Amino acid sequence: MNRRQFLGHSTAFASLLLGAPGFARAADRAGDLKSAEIIVVGAGYGGATTAKYLRLLSNNTARVTLIEPGSLFISCPLSNLVVGGTRTLADLSVSYDDLRVAHGINMVKDSISQIDAVKKNITLSSGKTLTYDKLVLSPGVSMMTESIEGLSQANAMGATLQAWKAGPETVALQQQLQAMQDGGVFAITIPEQPYRCPPGPYERACQVADYFKKHKPKSKVLILDANQDVVSKGALFKKAWAQLYPGMIEYRASHTVMRVEGQSKTLKFDVQEDVRADVLNVLPPMRAGALVVNAGLANSNKRWAQVDFLNFESTVAKDIHVIGDSAQNAAFMPKSAHMANQHAKVTAAAIVAELSGWDINPSPVLTNTCYSFVDAQQVVHVASVHQYSAAEKTFKTVAGSGGVSTGPSELEGTYAWGWARNIWADSLGA
Amino acid sequence: MNIFCRTSFKLKVFLLCALLSCFDVRAQTQDAQVLYHRALAATCANCHGTNGKGVENAGMPIISQLTEKNMLVQLMAFKTGERAGTIMPQLMKGYTDEQLQIIASVLGKK
Repeated sequence: MNRRQFLGHSTAFASLLLGAPGFARAADRAGDLKSAEIIVVGAGYGGATTAKYLRLLSNNTARVTLIEPGSLFISCPLSNLVVGGTRTLADLSVSYDDLRVAHGINMVKDSISQIDAVKKNITLSSGKTLTYDKLVLSPGVSMMTESIEGLSQANAMGATLQAWKAGPETVALQQQLQAMQDGGVFAITIPEQPYRCPPGPYERACQVADYFKKHKPKSKVLILDANQDVVSKGALFKKAWAQLYPGMIEYRASHTVMRVEGQSKTLKFDVQEDVRADVLNVLPPMRAGALVVNAGLANSNKRWAQVDFLNFESTVAKDIHVIGDSAQNAAFMPKSAHMANQHAKVTAAAIVAELSGWDINPSPVLTNTCYSFVDAQQVVHVASVHQYSAAEKTFKTVAGSGGVSTGPSELEGTYAWGWARNIWADSLGA
Repeated sequence: MNIFCRTSFKLKVFLLCALLSCFDVRAQTQDAQVLYHRALAATCANCHGTNGKGVENAGMPIISQLTEKNMLVQLMAFKTGERAGTIMPQLMKGYTDEQLQIIASVLGKK
């Protein structure tokens, strides 16, 4: 090999190094991890986990601010047990203290009024402006109340409740059931998919029936579903309704609520006959959290945020990541707490990699697990594994994996509580 | 005389830089791999605790006392159907053998 040949080879090698994505990122971003301002918005399952794992995966070097208006985490999963009266919100509440004290996360009790994706800053409701290098949005869903005529007024007068974010409405719904006379009707309406927690409405029907069976056995549960059939664990739920609550639960498919009359507690549909109920739980169509919608990030059907699934970065705003329920789902990817926690870990690892000047993991994995209580103790599950497909740039479920329970069991009831206590610790704990 | 001695000072500097870049990239690759592996193992944490340290007496099987080898045997047994279960056999079928090896290496008792 002569000098010219060697030089030629060396130059080619150096060019390869310089041109490699990892090297380019290293040049762009090296050393950014410790100095970057990373802001996470929303301390639910998605946001809290992102903040915690940004710290863990950066070996506690990333600077992380977590913005959340609430003072206590209240779990949506298991909150149907509060509706059914066998648990209280206190059983499902977790302090944010460990995120602050054990993980060194800067917790800010506030909400966001505006995002400026060009100047890369956010304005808080208190008026303060914070600049970011990386912004992760995890605001959950917002209710499209205006899409059903009369629903806003019915909500305002307390004639209808959603109770789809665990909190005061969850307790209020249980109180309405308590106040209802035996022989009354509880009606729950379900929007077309996608919505937060696919099995949630069917589990709620079970919990209300469990309460009626014990306290008001002449009462009825009416499920009015805009979908053509039960969208999650269908066979398991139908079997549980027939066996545990014979004659008590009625399921009506393809019922889309068009109008609500709060005074008479009446639901009106496009073609079917009106329904009057004593306790009304109207779940309207849902979309991304208002923050995501108002920032112009809901670019999928004006409802959900399209993201790059390798790092959950918005497809319309660089350095803004949208995770959890607000993100446009890949096929068979549910809007669940477990999934939000998994989005968070992929996102945290991707941000740490990028700010360290490394390639982002080219093959992330997500799992999902949803436990549903069919009475106060027995549970059924659905589970899935989602591997990233580089060819299709999306997550795909693995053929032959995942599935549902063979039937309800108390063993899975124990696992459901085990799941809850572990995911709370994983998302929020020391 | 070997080729390195015959090169100019500028070229030597260039070659040295190229060599250091090579080591730099290799170091980054190793660190990035550690990150990817930790993130993969974190898919288990929802049920089994952050870094495999589950909440005691919470109702979920504790895995932190399993050695890497024993953990991999269990994970593979769930995957092949040799060991029965509720969710684990369904989830393990979604991971490659290599991914299960990585998970066991990260979460197995050291």
